[in-house]
Amino acid sequence: MTTTDMAKITFNLVTIYVIGGLIMAFVYAKTSPIMFIKAKEEKEAALKLMMPEADKVAVLGTWEPHEKHAEYYAAQKCGEMKVISIKDEKTGEMKEEKECADPQDIGYIVEGFGKGYSSYIHILASVDKNFIVQKISILGHGETPGLGDEIEKDYFLTQFKGRSADNLVVIKGETPDKIQAITGATISSRAVTEDGVKNGVKLLKEKLSGEVEG
Amino acid sequence: MSLKPKSNWELIKNGMFGENTIFRMAISLCPSIAVTNGMKNGVSLGVAVVFVQTMVNATVSLIRNFIHPKIRIPIFMLIIAGYVTIIDLLMATYARPVYKEIGLYIQIIVAFASIFARAEVFANKNKLWPSICDGFGMGLGFLLAMIVISFFRELLGKGELFGYSLISGNPLLIMILPAGGFLAVGLLMGFFNWVDMKFFGGKGASGV
Repeated sequence: MTTTDMAKITFNLVTIYVIGGLIMAFVYAKTSPIMFIKAKEEKEAALKLMMPEADKVAVLGTWEPHEKHAEYYAAQKCGEMKVISIKDEKTGEMKEEKECADPQDIGYIVEGFGKGYSSYIHILASVDKNFIVQKISILGHGETPGLGDEIEKDYFLTQFKGRSADNLVVIKGETPDKIQAITGATISSRAVTEDGVKNGVKLLKEKLSGEVEG
Repeated sequence: MSLKPKSNWELIKNGMFGENTIFRMAISLCPSIAVTNGMKNGVSLGVAVVFVQTMVNATVSLIRNFIHPKIRIPIFMLIIAGYVTIIDLLMATYARPVYKEIGLYIQIIVAFASIFARAEVFANKNKLWPSICDGFGMGLGFLLAMIVISFFRELLGKGELFGYSLISGNPLLIMILPAGGFLAVGLLMGFFNWVDMKFFGGKGASGV
């Protein structure tokens, strides 16, 4: 192979890769801000669903499961709703806004990540004031279609209601008070239960048990 | 590979039956086992593959004269990965409900032997239209195989089709597990070879 040949090949490869890279970068630059906003909206909507009886969800703090950014929240119910008038600074008009007075914590919500078979599973879990799990939901994952993605199904998720941290253990086969593994997806089931939800509940307990009676 | 030019229709038919990715060429077998435990999975992946395979074949055919033969492989890889990335990003942004359903399948297309093989064997040597037809036909062949395999696996393994319960009683759980995938693909491959030999005078897979 002569030097000219090598230069030709290098030039050819570099040109095509640069063009390909530019196209992908362009698409990413156009889509990522929209994607970011939509993902945020979806997370807020998911947070509301976690504890529908709560009036508002307040951020309590952050933690880093698997070195990812995650938050935990207090679900609060308002003592009473006050209607107050605020002067809009731009237009000068008076606006009425509802304000939440004397909010009471009725439970907590934690965001977590579980290390699954082929991805980190993004989870939300809500607990009541005694740290008993009320509901969990899967925000995102990249598990095997047909096997691992069964973690999104209701039959798996509803098992979590009423479980305390000690009972968040995966069992293969029928179980009255623990979590039953999905057939063919034990790793994904474990990731959700033991790595994700259990660690989240433990964190809530650790951080908040001082504030809870008993 | 016959050398005389085929009509576009013959190319599509060839992809669907004569050189069916899974049952005749026996490539891209991983997804045919991993993603066929339900009709919904199989069909979603099949549709995604039809699209990507057609687009990749078209692109490779368009720029085939600019590709130095020595570095064609990394360039095919870039084209496939590029399409998958772009479709993934666009769907995640503008079609989130659809993305939630089939986003997982789009991502696994990057490592598809059948797409790679057609870029190398066909699109790299042929004009635009034949390449599009070949890609489309090969994609349809793959979709067809996915439908057939997942039909039997979901029906026998869960007693359901598309998640709707059809048969009550204890299903054969093994059919939706990976082992059942091997059984289904092997038996169906054998069946189609038998049909080919018996009724169409073929020589079976060894004669291809």
